[in-house]
Amino acid sequence: MYYYIVNPAAGHGHNKDLLDKIRLKLDELGIRGEWAKSTGPGEVTKMAAQAVTSGHTTIVAVGGDDTLNEVINGLGNSAVAVGVIPTGTVNRLAGQLGITDWQQACEVLAARRLTSYGLIAAGQNFFLSTLTMGFETDLDKNVDTSESGLGARTRQLLQSLGHARHFTTLQAKLTLDDSITVTCDLFSLSIGNQKFLNPLADNKLVVSLSDRPGTRQLGSYIWQLLRQGTSPLEETATSRFLADRIVIETNPATGIMVDGKVAGRTPIAIRLTDRRVRFITEKATSTLRG
Amino acid sequence: MARRDDVLGVTGADTVIGTGVTAIGNITSEGDITIDGTLTGDVKANGNVTLGVNAVVTGKISGRNVTVAGALEGNVTAVGEAVIGETGRVVGDISANSLDITSGAVFLGRSHMELPPRLRSELEEDHA
Repeated sequence: MYYYIVNPAAGHGHNKDLLDKIRLKLDELGIRGEWAKSTGPGEVTKMAAQAVTSGHTTIVAVGGDDTLNEVINGLGNSAVAVGVIPTGTVNRLAGQLGITDWQQACEVLAARRLTSYGLIAAGQNFFLSTLTMGFETDLDKNVDTSESGLGARTRQLLQSLGHARHFTTLQAKLTLDDSITVTCDLFSLSIGNQKFLNPLADNKLVVSLSDRPGTRQLGSYIWQLLRQGTSPLEETATSRFLADRIVIETNPATGIMVDGKVAGRTPIAIRLTDRRVRFITEKATSTLRG
Repeated sequence: MARRDDVLGVTGADTVIGTGVTAIGNITSEGDITIDGTLTGDVKANGNVTLGVNAVVTGKISGRNVTVAGALEGNVTAVGEAVIGETGRVVGDISANSLDITSGAVFLGRSHMELPPRLRSELEEDHA
C-alpha cells in the first residue's frame, strides 16, 4: 500500500494544480494509495513513523529535499520502501536517485525498482546525500541565491567572487576510521555516500577536500553552484578519501550544512550507519528487486 | 597550497592525497591511490599507486603498478611494473615484475624482479 506524504508548502505553496495532476497520473498507473498532508516543519517525520507503525510498505515524499529528509528520519529500522515525487524548490535528492520531474517520478514508482542506501549520521541527524563545510556553507550565509534568471545569477556570481577573496581557509584536522589523521588548510569539504556516485559501489563515505582554486576555476565552481544548486566539489576536489567514520575539527570552529540546511558545528563526528533505506529509483540506478 | 598546475583531478582514483595535505596512517584501497601531498604510513592498493612530483612519502608502497615521480623513503612492491620518473627519488628496495628507471631519477636500494611465468619456464627448460 502506497502512503503519500504531501508537503503543501513545497515549491513555495504553488502546487495545488500540480497535486491534482499527480493524483490523476497515479490513478492511471493504479498506485493512488493513501494521501496525507503535513501541516508544519517536523510533522513529516512523525507521519512517516506512524505510517511504518500502521504497516504501510511504501512511503512516498511529495515535496522537495526537506520533505524527503524528514521522511527518512522517521523510518527507524523498518524495511519500508521510500519514493519521491519532486515538487519542492530544491529537488537535488530526487535528481540523485535519477528522478528529474513528477511525471517520470510517477512511472518510477509504478515500476518499483529498488536501491538500498546507507544513512549517514551527523550528531543526532540522519541524512542521505551531502554534507558540506567551508566556503559553500559560508557563501550560503552571505549571498542570497533565491532569485534565479541570468541577471540575478550574474550579480550573485560577482558578489560570491568578492566574498571568496576575503574567505580565509580553515585549518582542518580529519580523523578517518580512528586510524588516519589528515591535516590541511581547507577551502571546502563535502561528505557523501559513494553509492550516489556509483549505484553498484558499496555504501561508503566519500570525503572530498578542496584547497583554494585559481580565479578561473573559482568562477566556474561558483557558477555551477549557483546554477545547479549542487556542490561541484566532487569534480573539483584535490583530495579524496573513503571511510566509514570521520571526526572533523577546524580552527576556527565552523558550521556544517546537510543537504543545504545548517545542521551543526565543528568539532563533529560523521558516520555511516547500519540503517539502510530502500529507495524506489530510476532504472539506471536500481540494484535490488522489489 | 597547490599551484593550479599541481591540482589533481580525483576522478578515477579511489583515494587522492592532494598537494598541501598531510596524512599520517596506513592507507588501503580496493582501487587506485594517488598521492601528491605528504604521507607517513604504508600504502596498499589493489589498483595502481601514483606518487606525483610533490609527494613526500615515508612508508612501504604496494600495488599493481607503482609510479614514483616524488620522494619515497620505503620499499616498493608492484605486482606489475614499478616506474621511477625523472623527478622521482626512491630510498628503499623495489620488487616488481618489471622496472623502469628514467634518466634523472634517484634510486638508492636493491631491486628484485619476478620473472614472468613464460620466461621462467623457458629458463627452466634451458637448465634441464
